[in-house]
Amino acid sequence: MRNYLIRRSLELIPVLFAIAFVSFWLVSKMGDPFAVLVLNPHVRPEDIQRLRHIWHWDDPLVVRFWYWLKDFVWPRQGWGLSTLAPGQTALQLISRRIPVTIAFSSTSLIAAIILSIPLGVYSALRQYSVADYILTFFAFFGMSMPTFWFGIMLIYLFAVKLHWFPAAGYHRAFFIINGVPVMFDKAPRWMQFLDEAWHLTLPIIVLTVFQVGGWLRYMRSSMLEVKSMDYVRTARAKGLPERTVIYKHAFRNAVIPIITLIGLSFPGLIGGAMITETVFAIDGIGRLTYNAVMSQDVFVAMALIMIFSILVVIGNFLADIFYAVADPRIRYS
Amino acid sequence: MEKEVLLEVKDLRTYFYTEDGVVRAVDGVSFTIHKGEVLGLVGESGCGKSVTSLSIMRLVDAPGKIVGGEIIFKGEDLLKKSEEEMRKIRGSEIAMIFQEPMTALNPVYTIGDQIMEAILTHQDVNEEEAKKQTIKLLDLVGIPDPEKRFSEYPHEMSGGMRQRAMIAMAISCNPDLLISDEATTALDVTIQAQILELMKDLQRKIGMAILFITHDLALVAEMTDSVAVTYTGKIVEYSDVRSVFKNPHHPYTYGLLESIPSLLSERTKEPLPAIEGMVPSPYRMPKGCHFNPRCPFATDICRKEMPELKEVEPNHLVRCFHPVNVKEEVS
Repeated sequence: MRNYLIRRSLELIPVLFAIAFVSFWLVSKMGDPFAVLVLNPHVRPEDIQRLRHIWHWDDPLVVRFWYWLKDFVWPRQGWGLSTLAPGQTALQLISRRIPVTIAFSSTSLIAAIILSIPLGVYSALRQYSVADYILTFFAFFGMSMPTFWFGIMLIYLFAVKLHWFPAAGYHRAFFIINGVPVMFDKAPRWMQFLDEAWHLTLPIIVLTVFQVGGWLRYMRSSMLEVKSMDYVRTARAKGLPERTVIYKHAFRNAVIPIITLIGLSFPGLIGGAMITETVFAIDGIGRLTYNAVMSQDVFVAMALIMIFSILVVIGNFLADIFYAVADPRIRYS
Repeated sequence: MEKEVLLEVKDLRTYFYTEDGVVRAVDGVSFTIHKGEVLGLVGESGCGKSVTSLSIMRLVDAPGKIVGGEIIFKGEDLLKKSEEEMRKIRGSEIAMIFQEPMTALNPVYTIGDQIMEAILTHQDVNEEEAKKQTIKLLDLVGIPDPEKRFSEYPHEMSGGMRQRAMIAMAISCNPDLLISDEATTALDVTIQAQILELMKDLQRKIGMAILFITHDLALVAEMTDSVAVTYTGKIVEYSDVRSVFKNPHHPYTYGLLESIPSLLSERTKEPLPAIEGMVPSPYRMPKGCHFNPRCPFATDICRKEMPELKEVEPNHLVRCFHPVNVKEEVS
């Protein structure tokens, strides 16, 4: 098990390196980040040349990639093309924006797991019952609903019509405590937390519904498949109570493919976050990515791509570990 | 030699209600097993052997359903028991070994855990005691180094070892009846012989009865006291093993025995005789005797009526209008 972990961790390095190079090549095809400056009457052509040189934009791709990699690992102060403030590095900007994204996407990930697995099992155990049909209906609803549209509908219903939840943002600017306005940052922690939770409820629902549908269906079919396995019959023939048969013998086998599926869903989670943040006007890294790509900010875009790649690779790595824990057959292979 | 009756199956009917129609997998099967007796249930695949055994355990899955008959075990009808009462019988009084040792064990739990589970379910012992018993059982079924094997997973064992573990699991609570459903079919011939030897040995030691299900007549001769030959969900011939092998009366049994290659036969140069045709589709059973399209002796009545299971010799039942070999035996 330990050797397996070490081997798997070492494998991550070339994978990330390859991702970095390929995406750097793709991003460099996105366009010239200095092109916007040509239109600026206050910037002289020599200055553009100088900037290109400082950022190694006049070097070949491989050389440029090397300098970029160095900058990524040991960041230096950036020059604000559009997204970056002067004197700010891409990583600094990202680290300021990332907590909110992680907060709501990890909450929805956990919520989706907690909902989809028991509901999938329930659906499988009562195959073709009314409950099964209702769950199936909602599963297909969740899977086929475009995230942005579902988000807008939730805003329309719960924010515009019912006023239960805010329509945008992830916290209010200030609180009124005892008639005195208090800035958000100065408010007590629990008030900050509650306010953020209140703001993030709708985005979390959108992302959760998006994931639950598919996982529920997978869990259901996996459970149905396992239920007719020989070893489940063996467990019954042993005289075990039905709940032991289902929750010990069938469940653990049925959940193994779902672990892989959840691991593979990480990129989708980030993609979903990008849309959700745009719809709900949340300043997380999803929205930052959208802005960086739209304004051809190569440096921020590349840094974000790398952060995403690392998250996805780590997600798959964790899934593999859970997989090995759940399934003894692959432990030593 | 009247022994106490352990299990009496009377007119058991298990049907499968599929979209294409009703499949009568088991259609009026009756047999009796005495204490410590080994009964062989023989037939081609798809003739209801496994469904019979699952019916006794009441483990027939939908769309299958036991629609009639009685299964009297130790004087009580199993079909009248509640699910909870039935659960207490499974594994403790009636245990079962399945065909595929590769898939019959749960891949994610250790061998020891899976055997111990049966002991902990049916006996009032703590885990330590159960573990001790499990290791003893593994030793009893001939698994070397049982303490180490206790914590191994099924995929770390060979097919023969897994089947031994299955047997250990089945006998863990000293059952009165062991159902062996093609338990050796998936194994190599040498391993098969070892497993059969082990089962016979344990049967003598523990004194349990065995319902031995197989398609292999050679194993029946070796293992069992009496034989029931099944064809399309019905018993066609039922007697003690000697009588069936010496004097098969049903043309089907006769054909099966004829098609066993023999080293001693004078006809070794001739091609091996085989029963013509195939088992009929469960959705299109022939009218009359189900064997009539394949039977060389079939007459008009065979194509019209299903014969009854009749005693043609003392304790030798045959379902046939024209039983073979009867006259020759008498003369």
